[in-house]
Amino acid sequence: MTFGLGRMRRALRHLGSARVPAGSPRATAPRSRWRRRAGNAARMVVALLLVGGVYAAVAPGVQANVASQPSAEDIAEGKAIYDASCITCHGRNGQGVEGRGPSLIGVGSAAVEFQVATGRMPAARQDAQVERKPPRYTREQAQAIGAYIQSLGGGPELPDETDEQIVAGGDIANGGRLFRVNCSSCHAFGAGGGALSSGKFAPSLANSTPRDVWAAMLTGPQNMPVFGNNQLSPQEKRDIAAYIYTLQTDPDPGGWGIGRLGPAAEGVAIFLIGMVALVLATLWIVGKQQ
Amino acid sequence: MSSEHHAPVADPSFDVDDPRNTRFDLVREGLRRDGMEIAYYEPAFPPGRKSKVEKRIERSIALLFVLAGLFAVAFVVAYIWWPWKYEMGATASKFYTPILALTLGGSLVLLAFGIIAWAKKLLPHEVVIQDRHDGASPYDEQRLTGAAIMNIVDETGIRRRPLLKAALALPAAGLGVAAVAPLVGALIKDPNDGHPLLKTGWNPENNNGRPVRLTRQDGTPVRPEEVSPGGQMTVFPGIPGGATNKWADSPVLLIHLRQADADRLRASIAASQAALAEGRDVTRPVVDGMWQNFVAYSKICTHAGCPASLYEQQTNRLLCPCHQSQFLITEQAKPVFGPAHRKLPMLPLDVEDGFLVARSDFLEPIGPTYWERPVEINEQEATS
Amino acid sequence: MSPRKRRFEFARVPAQIGQDLDERLGAATLLRRALNKVFPNHWSFLLGEIALYSFIVLLLTGTFLALFFDPSMTEVAYDGSYTPLRGEMMSQAYATSLHLSFDVRGGLIMRQMHHWAALLFMASILVHMFRVFFTGAFRKPREMNWVVGVLLFWLGFFEGFAGYSLPDDALSGTGLRIATAIILSIPVIGTWTYTSLFGGEFPGTEILPRLYIVHVFLIPLLLLGLITVHLALMVKQKHTQWPGPKATEHNVVGVRMVPGFALKTTGFFLLIFGLIALMGGLVQINPLWLFGPYKGEVVSAASQPDWYVMFLDGSTRLMPDWDLTIGPYTIPAIFWPTVVLPGVLTMLAVFYPAIDRRIYKDYEAHHLLQRPRDVPVRTALGMMAISFWLVLTISGGNDIVAEKFDISLNAMTWAGRVGLLIVPPIAYWVTYRICLGLQQHDREVLAHGVETGIIKRLPDGRFIEVHQPLADGHLEYAGTPVPKKMNKLGALGPAIRGFFFPIEKPAPPPPAVTPVSPADAPRELEEAPPKY
Repeated sequence: MTFGLGRMRRALRHLGSARVPAGSPRATAPRSRWRRRAGNAARMVVALLLVGGVYAAVAPGVQANVASQPSAEDIAEGKAIYDASCITCHGRNGQGVEGRGPSLIGVGSAAVEFQVATGRMPAARQDAQVERKPPRYTREQAQAIGAYIQSLGGGPELPDETDEQIVAGGDIANGGRLFRVNCSSCHAFGAGGGALSSGKFAPSLANSTPRDVWAAMLTGPQNMPVFGNNQLSPQEKRDIAAYIYTLQTDPDPGGWGIGRLGPAAEGVAIFLIGMVALVLATLWIVGKQQ
Repeated sequence: MSSEHHAPVADPSFDVDDPRNTRFDLVREGLRRDGMEIAYYEPAFPPGRKSKVEKRIERSIALLFVLAGLFAVAFVVAYIWWPWKYEMGATASKFYTPILALTLGGSLVLLAFGIIAWAKKLLPHEVVIQDRHDGASPYDEQRLTGAAIMNIVDETGIRRRPLLKAALALPAAGLGVAAVAPLVGALIKDPNDGHPLLKTGWNPENNNGRPVRLTRQDGTPVRPEEVSPGGQMTVFPGIPGGATNKWADSPVLLIHLRQADADRLRASIAASQAALAEGRDVTRPVVDGMWQNFVAYSKICTHAGCPASLYEQQTNRLLCPCHQSQFLITEQAKPVFGPAHRKLPMLPLDVEDGFLVARSDFLEPIGPTYWERPVEINEQEATS
Repeated sequence: MSPRKRRFEFARVPAQIGQDLDERLGAATLLRRALNKVFPNHWSFLLGEIALYSFIVLLLTGTFLALFFDPSMTEVAYDGSYTPLRGEMMSQAYATSLHLSFDVRGGLIMRQMHHWAALLFMASILVHMFRVFFTGAFRKPREMNWVVGVLLFWLGFFEGFAGYSLPDDALSGTGLRIATAIILSIPVIGTWTYTSLFGGEFPGTEILPRLYIVHVFLIPLLLLGLITVHLALMVKQKHTQWPGPKATEHNVVGVRMVPGFALKTTGFFLLIFGLIALMGGLVQINPLWLFGPYKGEVVSAASQPDWYVMFLDGSTRLMPDWDLTIGPYTIPAIFWPTVVLPGVLTMLAVFYPAIDRRIYKDYEAHHLLQRPRDVPVRTALGMMAISFWLVLTISGGNDIVAEKFDISLNAMTWAGRVGLLIVPPIAYWVTYRICLGLQQHDREVLAHGVETGIIKRLPDGRFIEVHQPLADGHLEYAGTPVPKKMNKLGALGPAIRGFFFPIEKPAPPPPAVTPVSPADAPRELEEAPPKY
């Protein structure tokens, strides 16, 4: 639902900032850069108002889904899914089953949304590390299960913010600074992930949504340390999520990024592209003519 | 066109002005005089009317040159007019560098293809044989040169006048040393001057003798409750510039252990202390630096100095990403895998006014091992 | 009429200039000799040129970068175009690196070209060295040039390290920090060297300006000098050549410097330049804006040096934690794989020509190259060295391999440790056997001829394959490729048209190599035409 809503709002924003038709006198009149910017800003304001209005008018029910107080229907839906898919390992009412799955009392809805929406849960088998895979449940369903687990024993919750809101509210420069101190050591500068001891690894963040990033920091899934709200404030989490979003969406300015894997990939490239091309060239240069 | 003999000999009777000689005869005579012989020579195309093939090759090469020129023009145009300043997001500026590459690289490669094709297809095919004249100089040449050198030596009279030779040794040696002296003398720096290898920013001497607070990157002090169990935080000495590279030896990883892990670490420290008291062999120093369930280790790897900060909160391993040394947090960060030999130094923690502080500096030198590295630093020095 | 009053003839100007110059310099003979100098033709002789030409590109792009780069380590707040770093405190060196990447027109492609050219420079040095090694081109009288080449490799190594340390990003700073650990590990003088080089404690404020002058002046000067020596020795001693038609120990068979060789080599230079330009803008290298400024606490997973340093990173990763304690003193484990190992490897390389002389008991001067199969011990030793280097280099990136291929990192380290001990001997043995096999096949073809693919049934029921003898009499192996396919004899039509398998109407047929003229080769074929 969040994403559907996001799409709608994006469409509305486009509507708001639509260009003036080419034939109109304003478009042909010479305008200074400042006037153009002022015009853009004015249209932006109008668009935002419009969006806000429409949002308030059509979307109150949707908002409840990401709100901290979920509806009873959500909890019921979550319980239904839980009883169908999770109960085998995590037991009745999230009590946990010895040797199969841990208790979920107190893990909070953030952890559930992260684990289910990224496809890690339900887990296929017990491994060194549970991996991201195509999720079985939608984010809304994941949130519903989260609501159910939350109702059982509380725990960390995600804020009532969509991915777009998180990104829009973040300061990427500060996020970058925090990323380099706290995250890059495991997830690497390019957020491509890295190896940990004995088969464990820090996953790539290429497909992580801002809410996933937030949930991971908040709950410390698997071997990731917890970055509670006392340590990294919600604003700082927003900054980091926005920075990671920038890493994902800002195209490489220097050409093909070869996976941003660093010098190892560059070394492979110079031999596979550079040396191979030049050795073929030497064969051609020296080769005799028929 | 081939000839059998290997050592080409210049014809002494060759007359360069003989009108019967063609220019090619002159070329060949020049080659002979330089010890070369044309063994095979065949123009790529017969002289006279151009054949169809020849014309086609000519046109292809001309096309390559023209294209190279166009690419070069395109490069200049793109260089000047394409939006080049970095802009966030999928903007036209992101194509600036690739477009420069395509135009410049394209122009150079096309030109290269043209030139190489010219050399391959239009130049005469030839095989030229050159004499090597290798090996040592002839015997008499060696003798003559040897004599000349020995004569020079005698002319200087260095052998007749040992006094001069001995006297000359002095300035030679002196100036030799003098040549090196400024370089070495200006660069040299005593590693014991101020003990930079033994002291870090956590030494209370940097804070007027008061214990140094643990602070974040932005300088704010850290309260224990700010790090959740299973969490970790990189902290810096709470002194001016503590988070800058001036104190690159000071970053510390503060870890809030879960109860069971903290108990394990406490037991490990206690066991080591008992062993130390009994005089058994144990890695020194044994530091009891925990405060409740908090522990802090130097982030600087004891192997090569990288920040060992890949903390696995379930296995309690700390991994260094440079050479994969792994340290076990619950065993006083002793190395359990990889090339590191020593445990990570533990920073003794305490709490003052609700903020975490370092009781003293590290009780051993942090970072990589070196020749004269002391095993431990006594508490007096670490707190003064 | 006196010549002075003669009408000005435009066409005579070049000749007149030449005349005037020669009257003053007397250089006509020298010039002709230089124009006529003969170069042998073989693709593998162009590998060294790649190094030379990428060095020229390095000088050009490096000069451009130096106009904008400032190695100062003074802290400044970044205010350039790269938004994600705005306001960040960083050294002037890193700030100017960002500036020249994003706020200098075309700066990014220059930086990337410079870096790719550096990688290519080192790669071509390595490949060129392998060529020289496997063909025996280092033998007397060229041992000196081999040593110069080894020195060039190490100069390039340090030049590259200094270069990628300069931007002061978090990756380069990590490399520099590891370098301090290596310096510290040297017994007795370690700490003194460390504080002296860094002007105190790492990182201080002096190391980058010092590395800068080393990178832009000291080592380039040495490189330039040694490259000159390398080329001068090559010109003086003349190029080696493959045995072949007319080629002997006492001559050089090839084409003249001008125009044939000069035109091709100019084209090759442009091609290399063009390739570097293409890579420089199409393939991103060292995106230092992602790394952020160097801070003592910042590190990234998968921290690697450039590829030519990676073998030492690998050796460091594989080394067990064997610190050596001598009384109160310690030699740390890192000393062996980073100081001793490269020292030993260099010494082995420098003294290899002498070792080779002993192995083959051959103290003569040689100008003809050897086919690797004909010197199996050397070839096998070379493959052993390559496999040793490969295991180390892959181990230098073992965390990436572990992550991308879902292998345990610890398993990768152990695989590297074991591999380092067992792969090189296996490589030696396998190479040695392959060489012997190839030698044997050559002799077989010389004795019995080429396989025609025609099966004949003899009257007694046996099947045999018809062989096409290369000559009527006995053929000695001449150190040259032996034709092993009918189309190499001209007996069949060319299998492939194109430049990778050059087919030529056999120009002056060398008596020792192609004893069968195309005319009488297919005699047997005519007798028994294939039925399918």
